[in-house]
Amino acid sequence: MIWKTAWKNVWRNKVRSLVVIISITIGIFGGVFAIAVMNGAIEQKVDATLNDEIAHIHINDPAFRDNYDIQLSVDQPEQTIAMVRNMPGVEAVTPRTVITGMANTATKSAGVQILGIDPESEREVLQLYQTTIPGTGGFFDAESRHQLAYIGEALAKELNIIRYRIDESMLDSLAKREVPAEVLEKLVPFSGHRFKSEKSFKKEVKGVLSMKEQHEYGAVIKEEAWSFRARSKMTLTFLDKDQMQTGAVFRIAGIYDIKNSMYEMSQVLVQNEDLAALTGMASNEYHQLIIRLDDLESTRVVSESLKGKLDGLEVMNWKEIQPELAMMTDMVSKFYAIFMVIILAALAFGIVNTMLMVVLERTKELGMLTAIGMNKKRVFNMIMLESVFLSLVGGVTGIIISKTLISLTARKGINFASYAEGFEAMGYPAHIYPSISTSFFITVTILIIITGILSSIYPALKALKLDPAEALRTE
Amino acid sequence: MKVLEIKNVHKIYNSSEVKVHAVNDISLDFEKGEFAAIVGPSGSGKTTLLNMIGGLDTPTEGEIMVDHTNLAELKSSALIDFRLRNIGFVFQSYNLIPVLTAKENVEFIMSLQKWNKKEKDERTYELLKAVGLEDRINSRPSKLSGGQQQRVAVARALASKPKFVLADEPTANLDSKSTETLLDIMEELNKEEGITFIFSTHDARVVKKARRVITVEDGKVISDERKK
Repeated sequence: MIWKTAWKNVWRNKVRSLVVIISITIGIFGGVFAIAVMNGAIEQKVDATLNDEIAHIHINDPAFRDNYDIQLSVDQPEQTIAMVRNMPGVEAVTPRTVITGMANTATKSAGVQILGIDPESEREVLQLYQTTIPGTGGFFDAESRHQLAYIGEALAKELNIIRYRIDESMLDSLAKREVPAEVLEKLVPFSGHRFKSEKSFKKEVKGVLSMKEQHEYGAVIKEEAWSFRARSKMTLTFLDKDQMQTGAVFRIAGIYDIKNSMYEMSQVLVQNEDLAALTGMASNEYHQLIIRLDDLESTRVVSESLKGKLDGLEVMNWKEIQPELAMMTDMVSKFYAIFMVIILAALAFGIVNTMLMVVLERTKELGMLTAIGMNKKRVFNMIMLESVFLSLVGGVTGIIISKTLISLTARKGINFASYAEGFEAMGYPAHIYPSISTSFFITVTILIIITGILSSIYPALKALKLDPAEALRTE
Repeated sequence: MKVLEIKNVHKIYNSSEVKVHAVNDISLDFEKGEFAAIVGPSGSGKTTLLNMIGGLDTPTEGEIMVDHTNLAELKSSALIDFRLRNIGFVFQSYNLIPVLTAKENVEFIMSLQKWNKKEKDERTYELLKAVGLEDRINSRPSKLSGGQQQRVAVARALASKPKFVLADEPTANLDSKSTETLLDIMEELNKEEGITFIFSTHDARVVKKARRVITVEDGKVISDERKK
């Protein structure tokens, strides 16, 4: 009966209850959806890092990571690879040579890490090969008499391998994509122009377009102006095994785009045999073994097992290689909880205020209930239940709305195209697919119930202090 | 058989400026099945006396024994539980729970005593039938007239079969017809269930029905008459 009465009491003053419920709904929806977006971005970041960049475990000489000394290769690489491949939980292994050098074109140069890879086994370990920008080539797919390099989009832009041009075909494409004629007219004066860099292209376009036009059509214009000449070339220079300066011209095999500018700027992939020929290293000499596991959860077990078996080699799992990523994944749930607690704490003040008004308005009734034999525990429970019901109705509505919107946006994602550069500079994708686990919804529901209970304590204590005889005299 | 003994009870209210002797040395006994009215002008101390009998207020001096239990010796929680099991209340302004139906209001006391559903349903129907509201069991108080609400309040007061019912000016807000109906119902229940009724009132119609009339003035009993 107490539950029934409490529930009916919630709806005694519908307008007031609805105001509180709506504020809770908005608060919970805002919090949960914002967390789902953040979580989606972090999950994508972790997935992309593990799938495209580092995989799960690295094996190298213990001193190698200090200064990437070319001499510090993995001892007995073939036996080690065979042993690792047969380890339970290991899906694939690929060897790598890692050299620090410079990438140069006629106009620009940049410091890079040159990764000598075996394309076949690399495909089994990392999915970087799937990120090739259409029209730029492939992941060492085609036979070539040239030495090939697979580079990131950011480096390609930096070295002017990717350029921006405005010409008739580009303007036609824009017209097909429904860019208005007045915008196209503003671009016509640049027709036939090839810009030196992305920066100069942006500067010129910004100069002729209004802010609104830039916002609406900037991304499309940039996409259509993007230009790459097949088999562009660059020179890679580095020190060989004898510490002598060496280098060679490499044709661009393909350009990858993993939405992480930092990685794209610094990592150039070439074939191991090409690098070995230039550095003087043996064809079966490698600096690192990169391992992909069947299951992410088995990372610690497998890496501990490898540490026990590989004396004289350093075994590092992804959490040790990128501690900031590990910290983020480990701390993220705590951060979400704190975020929700802050939102709920703010909402709690509204609930406390409402419940205090409830107690004040029902002084006589509460006096009557105590008079006829409703003990303090039951009075407390009734007030607490009213508060919990109020919180739960608002909270669950907020959760349902969030869950629906998350499901809707999770399919197509939310595109923050306007902020793409900022996101990519931090290593995050600008197209985010909101995601949140069911356990998070359970946690939020528990937090809402706790908020309801805590919010009721002060008003309920006020109710308990009422003297029934005095309360009954209240008008 | 005595259900209530009031022994030399005083109630003094001490405010910063004045000292009010609301009840001054009252001693009374009530037998099982009495239908008694405490009458007196406003401020005579009848409501204070009723509150002390009901354990809602404590005497400054003296003892109130309900069925040989001294109310002053009960702790707060025990006193509430004692009220629940032994005393029924009818208030001047009905004081029903507005969000509950007539049936739920009557059931409320039984739910607090954890009666099972069958017992509750039977007792509720029996009481609402007794007060002539068996056809309004699902009506909320706002859909009932003042007289009907007070009849629901009487049914609620009797729900847990208390030792006695205290009714504080139960007819004050009712018209003549409703008052007559209510008093007839209470008298019938008093006779049928043997429950003691104690009213505080200054309504002549109640006084006329009462079989015992206790007159209080300035906190003192000035007469205690039993009708034959």
